Amino acid sequence: MKELRLVVQKFDPFSDAAPRLVEYAVPRREGMTVLDALLYARDYVDHSIGLRFSCRQASCGSCGMKINGRPRLACYTQVDELGAEKVVAQPLDNFAIIKDLVTDLGSFFQRHREVTPRLVRDDAQEQDHPTGEYLMKPEELSRVLQFTYCIKCGLCTSSCPTVATDERFPGPQALAQAYRYTADVRDQGGAERMAELDGTHGIWRCHFAGSCSYVCPKGVDPALGIQLLKRHVMSGRPPHSKDDATKVWKPAEKQQ
Amino acid sequence: MKESRLMLLQYSTAVLAVVLVAIHLVMQGIATPYSTAISYATILSIYRTWFYAIFLEALLVVVLVHGFNGVRIILHEWRQTAPWSRWVDLGTVVAIVATVAFGSRTVILAVFGGVAG
Amino acid sequence: MSSGAEGKAKNRRGLSGWLNPYHYNFERWAYVFQRVTGVAILAYVIGHLGDTSFFVGGPTGTGPSESSWTFISGLVENSFGHLILILVVLVVIFHGANGIRLIVSELGLILGRPSPIEYPYRPKSLRSVQRVLIWVAIALALVGTGWAVLILFGGSI
Repeated sequence: MKELRLVVQKFDPFSDAAPRLVEYAVPRREGMTVLDALLYARDYVDHSIGLRFSCRQASCGSCGMKINGRPRLACYTQVDELGAEKVVAQPLDNFAIIKDLVTDLGSFFQRHREVTPRLVRDDAQEQDHPTGEYLMKPEELSRVLQFTYCIKCGLCTSSCPTVATDERFPGPQALAQAYRYTADVRDQGGAERMAELDGTHGIWRCHFAGSCSYVCPKGVDPALGIQLLKRHVMSGRPPHSKDDATKVWKPAEKQQ
Repeated sequence: MKESRLMLLQYSTAVLAVVLVAIHLVMQGIATPYSTAISYATILSIYRTWFYAIFLEALLVVVLVHGFNGVRIILHEWRQTAPWSRWVDLGTVVAIVATVAFGSRTVILAVFGGVAG
Repeated sequence: MSSGAEGKAKNRRGLSGWLNPYHYNFERWAYVFQRVTGVAILAYVIGHLGDTSFFVGGPTGTGPSESSWTFISGLVENSFGHLILILVVLVVIFHGANGIRLIVSELGLILGRPSPIEYPYRPKSLRSVQRVLIWVAIALALVGTGWAVLILFGGSI
């Protein structure tokens, strides 16, 4: 059986002075993912490898890591597709390391919360207790659909050159979600959301390097959403006015 | 000031700079032979033509505003402490004013100054 | 997580995130060059303010002075100075042409619209028009540079 050289960056901030690379020999088989290789190494070679994963099918976004230099999901990356005899697994850039391959996504989720990632209605009573369904036309859905696939794995934010130095920049994930809700016809909070992003460390610190879209495993294309939102922030006008937002549609049988 | 206003400034100076720099390159290297273009007599006649003097002043302002605003953006992305941010904004304004003043002095003296030997 | 939070390595890439595009997309290289050439051009412009000031006798001059201009021309009009000029032409044309691509893209004009995803998926924001325009910027810069080489080193001056 062919062997795979699996190199893992190990680092425990509590006890280690600096990260170090450790190589493991893992039996290689067809269809093997990097996560499979890491789990083999952890189960049979070195129990101390710090590793986070859950769904094994690119749905949960837990196993994001840098594989051979590029941010990827370990469960969604087959060893064969890398075309290399050696697989190097390192923690994602731009996130604090908790241990080995496990990074702290706390501030990343906080950035997401800060862009008001939900539909906002002017009528607070209606928002909390909707009187009916808010419908979308298919073309209105397709304007935002791909951005809803975000699983918050952090690969885009890890790849972003601005996030590499700017601690106050929301990052591609949060900005793409800002577009996702602002462009949603059921939303009335676009103007406020955009005003929040129009500061020194807001949306304009994106320079369209495009790496976020390059590494996204879910086809979200954050760079597209961010550039589309820039035009609206520049003009100060959201994609639709509050009056044009979808009105409540009440099914006939429920009307009283 | 809203960042979008500053980015509008950055975009508009960028477009203007592309046009003005293109004219500048053509004037220096293509419209006239290079050795003629950089000769004292040619430059004096250029400065003393109103149209070209205003062109050079516009080129000066547009390029420096675009350049220093660009550096401001880079420095804001580099560090984010409160004093740093304040000094970067202030420093950008000072740098633009100082360099535009120095460059304008060249233009003004070239246009109005007495010709020395 | 009391004392532990302090112990976590921050792990931000820092300036290598700006300057090292290796492992990433082609557009990321354009981002790096746009930033580096921008700073380089500003440095040249500041120097150019200095040398052109000698047309009016330098920083302490009072008006057009042929002797002062002859002095500064003697310093900058040589092979080394012309090599610098050629590099400036190269980076200025690239920065300008690539900058136009960025403005048009950042205003969402050549990116296409969001659409339902079909696999194998390619991001719309990275579709080929971006790569083509970057190559156009590179080609324009090289043509301009060739022209500058002909003018400055072609023996016609």
